[in-house]
Amino acid sequence: MKLLYDPLSTILARQMDACALRQRVIADNIANANTPGFKKSVVSFQQQLKRALGETGFNMSVSHPRHIAPGQGGLDNLTPQVIKVEGTSMRASENNVDIDQEMVNLAANALLYRLAARVWSDRANLMSYVIKGGR
Amino acid sequence: MSLFESLHISATGMTANRLWLDLIANNVANINSTGTPGDPNNKPYRRQAPVFRQVLRQQLGAAPAAVSPGLGVRVSQLVQDAGEPRLVYDPDHPDAHPETGYVAYPNINILNEMVNMLAATRAYEANVTAFEAAKQMYLSALEMGR
Repeated sequence: MKLLYDPLSTILARQMDACALRQRVIADNIANANTPGFKKSVVSFQQQLKRALGETGFNMSVSHPRHIAPGQGGLDNLTPQVIKVEGTSMRASENNVDIDQEMVNLAANALLYRLAARVWSDRANLMSYVIKGGR
Repeated sequence: MSLFESLHISATGMTANRLWLDLIANNVANINSTGTPGDPNNKPYRRQAPVFRQVLRQQLGAAPAAVSPGLGVRVSQLVQDAGEPRLVYDPDHPDAHPETGYVAYPNINILNEMVNMLAATRAYEANVTAFEAAKQMYLSALEMGR
């Protein structure tokens, strides 16, 4: 039995990985808020997650051992992507860091990370409660 | 990719902006550091400004198209303002030009320095906020399973 290695725990772990990466990217954007010519980066994860969960597009079934597994099979190699935002400029120095937007993203990202950690903890506590027989 | 990398990235931002603040303080402190006009041995103070550059990750064997998060900011060099010094007529000044009587003052606009100081302070605070958020994230990770 997969006690804490079910799909939801995997998703939570991937989500926390993505948030940690996004935190790095946002910290880098904020550190370079005054660097001339700097272009900000963003982390794309929610799209990949939706695709891995099969919410978008269609799911193909694997009916032959040589088929490539789609959908759920992609959950383990779900990787967040860093995308550089070129083409926009916030000021004359060609820098495109919007500090207000970065601060909002920063707060939202930290909350999302804590949410994932909280959900994981609650599940672990529930398991521990069950294991102890409700005591 | 080190464990507390986002803390280090925010730290580079704080270091760079603190250096900028130091330079501004030096500029304001030297606003009256005079020199003799046209004398290469006795130049007035020149305003200094930092040049910010992003720190890129050095990765061997990575695909060229793959974008990886940067590693923060650094001050690559300090540049001196090339502006002409401000000339003030004061023949009794020790730095006065022997013939014209003019003294060279640094070309520093105090308003400019004050605005830059505010920008540097706010940028520093933004980095501190990012640092705090990263710290909270690491703390919540430590609380997992409690």
